Amino acid sequence: MPPPTPTGRAPGPPDGGWGWAVVFGAFISIGFAYAFPKGLAIFFKEIQDFFGTSYSEIAWVSSIMLATTYGAGPISSILVNRYGSRPVVIFGGLLCGIGMVSAAFCTSILQLYICVGFITGFGLALNLQPSVIIIGKYFLKRRPIANGLAMAGSPVMLCTLAPLNQFLFDNFGWRGSFLILGAILLNCCVAGALFRPIGPATVSVKTQMTEEGKGALKEEVTEDAMEMSSPTDVPMENKTEEEGGKDCCEKINQYLDFSLFKHRGFLIYLIGNVLMFLGFFAPIVFLAPYAKHIGIDEYSAAFLLSILAIVDMIARPTTGIIANSKWVRPRIQYFFSFSIAFNGTCHLLCPLASGYTGLVVYSIFFGLAFGMVCAMLFETLMDLVGAARFTSAVGLVTIAECCTILLGPPIGGTLIDTFGDYKYMFIKCGAVMVLAGTFLFIMNYYNYRMLAKEEKERKVKGDPKEDPVRTENEGKNNWNKETAQDGPELEPLREEREGLKKEVNGTNEV
Amino acid sequence: MTTTQTVNQQTQGNLSDHLTLGHNISTSGPDLATKEFKQASGGNVSDVTFVEYEVLLPGVSGTSVEKNITLDRGTRIELSCRLDNKYSHLKSLQVTWKRGNETVKHINKTETSWSIQLRILDNSKLGSYSCTLKGEEEISAVFNLQVPKIEGKEKPIVSYEGDTAVMICKSFGYTPIAWTWYMTNGSEQIAINDTLLANKYVINRISANVTHLKILKLTNEDNGVYWCEAAFDLGKSKGKLKLKVLSLMVPLKPSLAIVAEVVILVTIIFLYEMYSKKKEKGSEAEKEFDQIEQLKSEESNGLENSSARHRKI
Repeated sequence: MPPPTPTGRAPGPPDGGWGWAVVFGAFISIGFAYAFPKGLAIFFKEIQDFFGTSYSEIAWVSSIMLATTYGAGPISSILVNRYGSRPVVIFGGLLCGIGMVSAAFCTSILQLYICVGFITGFGLALNLQPSVIIIGKYFLKRRPIANGLAMAGSPVMLCTLAPLNQFLFDNFGWRGSFLILGAILLNCCVAGALFRPIGPATVSVKTQMTEEGKGALKEEVTEDAMEMSSPTDVPMENKTEEEGGKDCCEKINQYLDFSLFKHRGFLIYLIGNVLMFLGFFAPIVFLAPYAKHIGIDEYSAAFLLSILAIVDMIARPTTGIIANSKWVRPRIQYFFSFSIAFNGTCHLLCPLASGYTGLVVYSIFFGLAFGMVCAMLFETLMDLVGAARFTSAVGLVTIAECCTILLGPPIGGTLIDTFGDYKYMFIKCGAVMVLAGTFLFIMNYYNYRMLAKEEKERKVKGDPKEDPVRTENEGKNNWNKETAQDGPELEPLREEREGLKKEVNGTNEV
Repeated sequence: MTTTQTVNQQTQGNLSDHLTLGHNISTSGPDLATKEFKQASGGNVSDVTFVEYEVLLPGVSGTSVEKNITLDRGTRIELSCRLDNKYSHLKSLQVTWKRGNETVKHINKTETSWSIQLRILDNSKLGSYSCTLKGEEEISAVFNLQVPKIEGKEKPIVSYEGDTAVMICKSFGYTPIAWTWYMTNGSEQIAINDTLLANKYVINRISANVTHLKILKLTNEDNGVYWCEAAFDLGKSKGKLKLKVLSLMVPLKPSLAIVAEVVILVTIIFLYEMYSKKKEKGSEAEKEFDQIEQLKSEESNGLENSSARHRKI
């Protein structure tokens, strides 16, 4: 009998090679998605004068853009589930370009809302989600590093866009700048072209189960066990295996996995993050006004933000590297909770900062904490739900975060207006984040224990039960055929699994 | 130095927010003052305020003391130079007040301060007034009386042909009587008449301190420098703005260049991908070919063995 050909078993995620090109593409894509709305603020004064509107009407442009970028998350997820990352990102890039170019010819503020707010915002949403998703498909062992590097795109782009926007504005006015920015946003299509489709997520699920701590493994298996009864509920990256006669719910679940709401880890992450975002962005928005309020001149105040961005830039890849180390990776959720709490403590201590030096120190620590949280934002979600369901998870999480992200700065603003003092805003943000961090810490401790318990129970019941579940999870591939075979056939595969696990634990390459 | 304020102030309504010190200055009587003002302003009792400014000499060592005073309407003003107590031992000081080359007479003297009173009713009285204390050293201070400054825009406003440009001028703190806009034609400044050219220029006074000039249907000729002039009681003040009108081709060229770059990069990436896929397929085909050869040779070996066994038996 011929030995089983190596092509019978799909390889694990590359963890390198073309993956780094994908990281670069994600770097650009994520950078535009996060930095572009912030960079537009430079044009607002001129547009406000041109259309004769008030400042709050102009600020709506930014808010609509942000809301659309986060709110269109589920749509983005559905499209990625259906078509894969590459077409979605290319389409998103085209949409951004069209949006900004048409904004250059706008004659009213309402048209600006539509062109810049909705169209460009939607395009950026189609950029953000797939970029994060495809990293999960290309990386497993080095995923935290890849995530950290890709997320570093945001501060780098912000540092580039801010002076670029100013230069464009001085030379071309706001209309010409929008035209050129539209062309620049088309570079997202280049990033999309780099997102070469890789094999099904089934592949990454398999190796993931050998890789990620016993906890996550068993958690996933439990969930899949629940879904065994209705196989069509299993989210599949490529759903060519469509059976007829499905009802509405099952169909939706194929596109967007709502069963995630039964997933313990997902719920913990969701609640913790929604709470955190209440206090996440407000300090950045109000840092410069606060500095001016205590008497610092405009340029030094702007410089504080630059310090923040530079520290952020360095902190993200570094956090990725730390999170990838063998000590942190298995307990990455604790690291995440710690960074959130650290962020909160910075804000709580900010009112004690006196004078410019104090604020510089605060900016440095804030930049560090901000970078740490952002670098691990998606990594922890991937860690909890696994790469297969991450597509849907990220969509659901972003739309939930959308509300609190939008609420955060206005609440802070109201606090400042009511009390006439910035310190209450900082205290509120700090308290909310420390609370979120503590909540995540405790709940993840509980989660890890439950996962360990379930793993033990599974071991007691005996191993073979695992395998049919595992193969069910894989969807269609060779493994399905092998369910019919008996135990001994699977022995070499299990040994390989153990071997892989040892290899991963032993080689903590950074 | 008493801190009571005398009631020599002829203001109606609110006091202006000028700096007033609690100096008890006696004048020749309020009634006489009012009469004089009445005559000066042609019968209207204008809202005349009385303010005092004082500088302490010699001030920070090495630097000359200078004070900028902004006036937007008729004011009675008193400027005084006071000698610091540390230097009160200096006797025989000769103090002169000057405006340019003109010497101001009627200096009110006290032991340590010298002051002059001025009635600023029109533009001619504005300028720089200096007090000089001549003793062993010469100490001086300068008071600059000026109309409020108007801020224009340093950077040019960029707009496009066929588009509208909005230019804004603001006055900070002082309300002008009227605003006028000028455009520069060569070296001349021509006033812009928005009623005459209503489909080209629109002048709006948005609030008391802010004026808008809207230029519609921009053409290349609208390029240049514009002035917004605020008229106050005591004079006029100008702000400068620059307008740059570009054709749409100007930003279009960089945009198209960037689009071309994007298309080229995307093409390169896709071509590279196709090329590397072909290579992979090629190597896979080779591998399969090798395996088939291997199987064939194994089979033929097996056959040979079985036939050999057969023969042996």
